Amino acid sequence: MKPYPTRPGRLVAKAILALAGFLAVFPLLWTALNALKNNVDIITRVPKVIFTPTLANISYILGRDSVLTGLYNSVVACGSAVLIGVVLGLPAAYAVARYPNRFAGDIQFFVLSLRFLPPVAVAIPLMVIWLQVGLYDTLPALIVTYSLLTISVIIWLAIPAFQGVPKEIEEAAFVDGYGAYAVFWRIALPVAARSLIGAIAFSFVLVWNEFLIALMLSSSNAKTLPIVASELSQQGMNVPWGILNASVVLLSLPPLLFLGVLSGFLNSVFRQKKS
Amino acid sequence: MRRRSSLPVTFLVPTLAILLVLSMVPTLYAIVIALQNRELSTTGYSWVWFSNFADLFLDRRFLNAVWVSVKWEVVTVVATMVVAIGLGVLMFEVAGPRLRNFYCLLFIIPVLLPRVSAAFVWKFAYHPLYGIATYPYRLITGGLIFDPLSKPATALFAVASVDVWQWGLFFAVIVLKLLETLPPQPIEAARLDHAKRWQIHAYVTLPMLKAPLISLMFVKMIESLRSFDLIYVMTRGGPGVATETLDMYAFSQGFIESGKVSYASAMAVLMMIATVITFTMLWKRVQA
Repeated sequence: MKPYPTRPGRLVAKAILALAGFLAVFPLLWTALNALKNNVDIITRVPKVIFTPTLANISYILGRDSVLTGLYNSVVACGSAVLIGVVLGLPAAYAVARYPNRFAGDIQFFVLSLRFLPPVAVAIPLMVIWLQVGLYDTLPALIVTYSLLTISVIIWLAIPAFQGVPKEIEEAAFVDGYGAYAVFWRIALPVAARSLIGAIAFSFVLVWNEFLIALMLSSSNAKTLPIVASELSQQGMNVPWGILNASVVLLSLPPLLFLGVLSGFLNSVFRQKKS
Repeated sequence: MRRRSSLPVTFLVPTLAILLVLSMVPTLYAIVIALQNRELSTTGYSWVWFSNFADLFLDRRFLNAVWVSVKWEVVTVVATMVVAIGLGVLMFEVAGPRLRNFYCLLFIIPVLLPRVSAAFVWKFAYHPLYGIATYPYRLITGGLIFDPLSKPATALFAVASVDVWQWGLFFAVIVLKLLETLPPQPIEAARLDHAKRWQIHAYVTLPMLKAPLISLMFVKMIESLRSFDLIYVMTRGGPGVATETLDMYAFSQGFIESGKVSYASAMAVLMMIATVITFTMLWKRVQA
């Protein structure tokens, strides 16, 4: 495609894009910057770009028991739920992708429809149920609840990933005498691995960011990091802002670690569509 | 040999059984609770059947919440799609491959953030005195105060802007990828006919992408239902009830103000019925 000659319209378009790119990251960068500021440098009518950085906010955050407990709970709850999602979701997705049956469409719709359920509608009854069985405010309750999310999301995203594995490779393995399970383990899983990792990372980000269910299913012991962070802000406006900003940064870091994996996943999804 | 294997059964049945149990138990239980009069403070309860639902329709705060939720859906879905298509087309038009990759990476960042983080980032930014987003206003007006989150007229839009910041930018990436999958011939043909750039997109590329764009809108409609975290952190449903969506109201009825779990559950059940019916119908139409 030959580019059109440069016109003012293109310049405006480029300016809009640059502005959007700036808006995408600047608020976050500003928050990170505020996390390094003393309170006097944050509460200024004119935003301060030059200031003496301090690590006090970050060390305060990392030294608080509530934050560390929240971090531990988040890691254990999300990690376990993702693990359960992988163990149960990947085989199911493979079966749907490779063994077409008349229920395949219904299964896919059922898995998707779980996403239609309003979180409140799930959280209220679950709270009552967990209270009755004595598991309210415990990590197992949270893990089981999150598993519903991770299993369904992993199935949904892994089906196209398995469909992307060239059928010929699997057929060849069958001819070589591999059984159906061996083909799944030794062929389909490794070949689809890259896309699968994207799907798994996505499910992790989803539960790491989850707020409403964690809020309703925990009162003190099982609070996850988002809950702890949101509580820091409710101590009124007297709370040092730097500390709040530091907790936001801590909360946001794990999902951002997956930026590369997820954008690669996005690319591979669309490359598949194109071919 | 594929056909005879026991694999589909062993791989599917346990997982689907677990999913069914995990989803149906709370769903059915939500209905059961909605027909009772449970409260958090007391352990006893009795069956009141449909009186919770009857009360809801006389509850003006509930009707307000329905209206706010509808406004929220419309505003966030429309704004997200406009931003996504606009920026997607712009990237397609004026950015080279490297710049495209760069923008794509930037535009994915906001959606990865936990909603709680995004809400905080913008709550600070919208602070009337010290916020970075209100600074230009203070600068231009010489220190006048603009507090978008505490005015009923602007609060919903201020919160919605955060949602669009997360999803609109992310969907712009997807719109770009969709444009890249299109065959170049129709675009070339339109260009030979001296079509203007915007005409090419309005009459050729976007109509070609109608189906995936509708699916995208469908996804956004589902995700817009999850507004709770943003609203909870940024406004708590305030000022007054200006940003009180259904899930916010259900939460405050069930947990903050009165502990009326059954009443909250009745609300949740209505939401569930409405969304499941709407989205099932929409999905069947999208697929057809």
